[in-house]
Amino acid sequence: MSTQEQERTQVQRAGARRTPVWAVVAAREVSVKLRDRTFVLGSLSTLVVILGLVGLQVWLDSRTDSYQVASSSAGAQVLVEAAEEQAAEIDENVELSAVTEADDDAARAAVQEEEIDAWLTQDGDDWVLVTRDGADRSLQTVIESVVRSEMLAANAASAGTSVEELTEGTTVTVEQLEGDAELSTLQDILGFGLAFLFYLASIIFGMTLAQSVTEEKQSRIVEMIAAAVPLRELLAGKVVGNTVLAVGQMAVYVAVGMVGLSLTDYGTFIPGLTGDVAWFLAFFLVGFLALSCLWAVAGALASRNEDLQSTATPVTMLVLAIFLGSAFLDGTAEVVGSYVPPLSAVAMPVRLVKGDAAWWEALISLGLLAALAAVLILLAERVYRRALMQTGGKLSIRQAWKLEE
Amino acid sequence: MLELNGLTRRFGDLVAVDDVSFSVPPGGLTGFVGGNGAGKTTTMRMVMGVLAMHAGDVRWHGHRVTAADRRGFGYMPEERGLYPKQPIADQLVYLARLRGMDAAPARSQIVELLDRFGLGERVKEPLEKLSLGNQQRVQIVAALVPQPRLLILDEPFSGLDPTAIDAMTDLLREQADAGVPVVFSSHQLDLVDRLCDRLVVMARGRVVAEGTADQLRAGAPVRYRIRLGGDAGWVRELPGLQVDDVAGTEALVDVTAEGAEQELLTRAMERGPVHDFSRVVPRLSEIYREVTA
Repeated sequence: MSTQEQERTQVQRAGARRTPVWAVVAAREVSVKLRDRTFVLGSLSTLVVILGLVGLQVWLDSRTDSYQVASSSAGAQVLVEAAEEQAAEIDENVELSAVTEADDDAARAAVQEEEIDAWLTQDGDDWVLVTRDGADRSLQTVIESVVRSEMLAANAASAGTSVEELTEGTTVTVEQLEGDAELSTLQDILGFGLAFLFYLASIIFGMTLAQSVTEEKQSRIVEMIAAAVPLRELLAGKVVGNTVLAVGQMAVYVAVGMVGLSLTDYGTFIPGLTGDVAWFLAFFLVGFLALSCLWAVAGALASRNEDLQSTATPVTMLVLAIFLGSAFLDGTAEVVGSYVPPLSAVAMPVRLVKGDAAWWEALISLGLLAALAAVLILLAERVYRRALMQTGGKLSIRQAWKLEE
Repeated sequence: MLELNGLTRRFGDLVAVDDVSFSVPPGGLTGFVGGNGAGKTTTMRMVMGVLAMHAGDVRWHGHRVTAADRRGFGYMPEERGLYPKQPIADQLVYLARLRGMDAAPARSQIVELLDRFGLGERVKEPLEKLSLGNQQRVQIVAALVPQPRLLILDEPFSGLDPTAIDAMTDLLREQADAGVPVVFSSHQLDLVDRLCDRLVVMARGRVVAEGTADQLRAGAPVRYRIRLGGDAGWVRELPGLQVDDVAGTEALVDVTAEGAEQELLTRAMERGPVHDFSRVVPRLSEIYREVTA
């Protein structure tokens, strides 16, 4: 084929269906990262930790402790048998079986030999639970509770009254106006967890983006790329690629965590929280997009990888401030914060998870965040384009802004 | 055909490139020479669009060059490098795709070229595993895929060993013979002299000479060397000649009036034996020194 023919076919091919430049760049960012051992191993070990934590919770929830408790007197036998009956009501994870020993010595010996877990006996008016080395908290609770209620009933009967009369007007129940106690704990943990995930993923993938920008400067390949494609498209590709990676990884973590949680006692709350978690991912997406432009600028201001620590400090600080702000703001400040971008990227999802914010609030906040992202993209592009070809050391934002193309 | 018209670029108060105009015709190698800071790299960067120009324009086939045109130009910048940790074939395919080529044809062209440079076995290795000379070879492949319509190479020979210089020379020749206009800058004047069909000489931001090597030489004085049997001092008295040097029986003269060298030869033969009478063709480096002085 002559050069001219080759040229023509290439032009035709180019005209037919050319993958947009940003997509080619984004694809490279993703594929290089997915082949990076450190990244893959790091992600896998994080997954293992999440699965481990969930597994631990599941195991703790489902574990049933069985105890054999002995009695050697008729009085004790009644109590131990009552305990056997009521154990599951008092603590669902405790199973108790009653055994009888011939006398005190046989019972003591059985405890000593670990044939049984405990022996209930009477010392004067008091009851003693004898164990070899310390009774488990859950066993102790069951026995105490049974002894108290049985003896209370007996005492009441001998005094000519009943337990109901004795305890009348003594109960206090806790009533929570919003939600229930167990759910609020979960919401607090989940809110903090999501805020922390945002922080972690922003730093990890933000730094990855900044490094990939610096790498192109440091290795000098950027001039060849700049000659071939508009730098705006290069920036767009990098931002898209790293956002896909960050949101993808986040979605996997969150999905695994949610599925895991659904296997635990908290499982009943999961369906009610999925909507909020979806909001979180949406906020993460837009928030990361806004921040990623700043990361790209940090990368462009550095000439070598070593400069990156200092050029990225302002962005790192900002991300930390977002995390701390969303985790510790309270009351009105929290409400205001949930509208102020980029803080809102985390503060609003946290409020949503807590059930404090309505969907339209989330929508307004997301719109504001998107507006900030758009402005940042435009500003960042200017600095990025100007700083990228300057390979003579670290630049300040001010210097880069004033540079001529 | 690439044309530069009045290209100008300032950095602060310094005019790095001042009203530079020249053209790069197809089917030949154009050498771009000049000392450090003469403005060669700045000019090439403006042609490739990585640096904005303050005045002038660049034309390709008669129209103002576009981004799409530039995507078809093969470029090797002076400050060059590739991704150190990515396998060489993968990153070359990536660069070719950025320039609008599909991955599959790009890969086969790349493997073919790498093979030619003896790197066929190493396409999967990361760049940093290669020696510097081999990295430079990979770099030129990046400029050659997709098949460029114009080649702009900034110091392509720097850092190459003699074997690699020969391989690079063959490659540039081949591209030029296929009709691709090739322009490259170099410090190595003898190499440029041997290789180039045309020359553009820059000094202090301006083009000080342009043309084929012969054209440039034509501007230089016509110089003859003569060696006689006896003392050559009498040569000074002849009209139409400017004597550069007389040492014993030898003289070096510039011809200022046409035919004066014939008169010199006749007179010399009348006086005695003439051992040597020859035209002195100036070397490129001499012309270079003259035009940039």
